[in-house]
Amino acid sequence: MKFKYSCLSRRRFLSWLGGGWLATFVCSLIYPLFKAITPPYREPDEVVLLIKEVIELQPNSVKYFSWGIKPGILKRNDDGQLIAFVGVCTHLDCNVQYLPEKRKFFCACHEGWYDENGLNIAGPPPKPLRRLFVYEESDHLIIRREEKA
Amino acid sequence: MINRHKNLREKKGNFWEERLGLRAIINFLRQKKVPLSEHTIWLYTGSLILLFLAVQVITGIVLALYYKPTVAEAHASVRRIMTEIPLGWIIRSVHFWSATGMIATVFVHMISIWLLKSYRRPRELTWMTGVFLLIITLGFGFSGYLLPWDSLSLAATKVGTDIPRVIPLIGGWISKFLRGGEDVGADTLTRFYLFHICLLPLMIFLLIGFHIFLIQKLGISHPLKYEMRGIKVPEIPFWPDFVLREARVWLIALGVLITVAIFFPRSLGPQADLMAPTPAGIKPEWYFLFLFQTLKLFPSQIIFISGETLAILIILLFLGLFFFLPLIDNQPARKKGKIITAISVIIIIYAIAMTIWSLFE
Ligand code: FES
Repeated sequence: MKFKYSCLSRRRFLSWLGGGWLATFVCSLIYPLFKAITPPYREPDEVVLLIKEVIELQPNSVKYFSWGIKPGILKRNDDGQLIAFVGVCTHLDCNVQYLPEKRKFFCACHEGWYDENGLNIAGPPPKPLRRLFVYEESDHLIIRREEKA
Repeated sequence: MINRHKNLREKKGNFWEERLGLRAIINFLRQKKVPLSEHTIWLYTGSLILLFLAVQVITGIVLALYYKPTVAEAHASVRRIMTEIPLGWIIRSVHFWSATGMIATVFVHMISIWLLKSYRRPRELTWMTGVFLLIITLGFGFSGYLLPWDSLSLAATKVGTDIPRVIPLIGGWISKFLRGGEDVGADTLTRFYLFHICLLPLMIFLLIGFHIFLIQKLGISHPLKYEMRGIKVPEIPFWPDFVLREARVWLIALGVLITVAIFFPRSLGPQADLMAPTPAGIKPEWYFLFLFQTLKLFPSQIIFISGETLAILIILLFLGLFFFLPLIDNQPARKKGKIITAISVIIIIYAIAMTIWSLFE
């Protein structure tokens, strides 16, 4: 069949077809490479500690544990309650530490301060420390990413 | 007998000449002229960078014989280089100081071209490849810094790879690409090693090739002063006159490099621990200090965006302006360009002042 009028010459049409095919082909080669550049994000849903590991934890002191490849911080409040944080500064990702004498969390990277409940109070940190949720189950202590429903 | 010998030698000479045609290259280099003036000294910086790069390649290969890019072994393998391998500590120290020298020379090289306005038409592309080369050189420094896996380098890498996050749209991906995931960890080390010994070297050699090709093609720019007055600049042949002058600079540089490396050896901090709190007083290497200090100057919140974001966007803007400098300042080569000079001088003084401030803080 032959059209009387066409906005494309046969040559142009074929070039587009060939070019389009080539571009798609190259993209399909590059795509898997591109996808493999970054690994999937893995963070634990929960970390389990033994109660007897934390039984001696004094009020106003902390215990560090591994939250994936980041430090987690478990802290006993004055009323005996346990609270937990991801021990990573919300500014630029440095690991923070708890200073019991000052009752504050401190980030040495750019002198960021958080109060004893993890609220950002001084320096560059834009947000409070990330909270984790602590549950006691028989002789286990379970630290979870999300609150139990 | 003697005749036969001579014949043989001649034949041998012919053998190489026939296949390589080196004489043509030597003749070409003899005819290549280099302007000789009070600005000739800046020309040495280019070949000095190449010298440092060669030292980096050689010492780097020796270090790579023993280095192991895994979280478990990296620190121990560097310790082994420092304590067990014969003269390993000198090799590592030279690698460190040569990197320092290379980055410093790159800065001087760039500033001289900046102030002398040699980036102007037709050398725009030479300048732009130069800016890429600067970024690659800094990338070498940044990636190499992590490899010993000590506590300071871990903290610096965490901060450094978190910074791109504030760039709109692609920032998150860049950070993930650099880190090999959401967080700095084992994958980051592997990847930085790969950047350091494979990706960046490939890029730097390609770009240097192109950079030198452009310099060769366009010729070395003549100092403004002579151009404006229309005086002919005295010239010397590249080979052997200029090369011998360069060799003098290389000898001095090598002497200084090895002396410094021996008397101020690079030390090794305590092993990095992903779980430990960050030690106090982390600072990036000197060549990033002016950026580090600039970030500190900004308050944490400015109206609606964080100070950090604003600071980094401003820095990126400056980098963009810098890259496109030849297109912005596109006057003919003989114009003086006082405004550009003034701005350049202010920026350079600012960077030096910030660095000094950060050092003494
Ligand atoms: S990373 Fe904690 S204050 Fe900057």
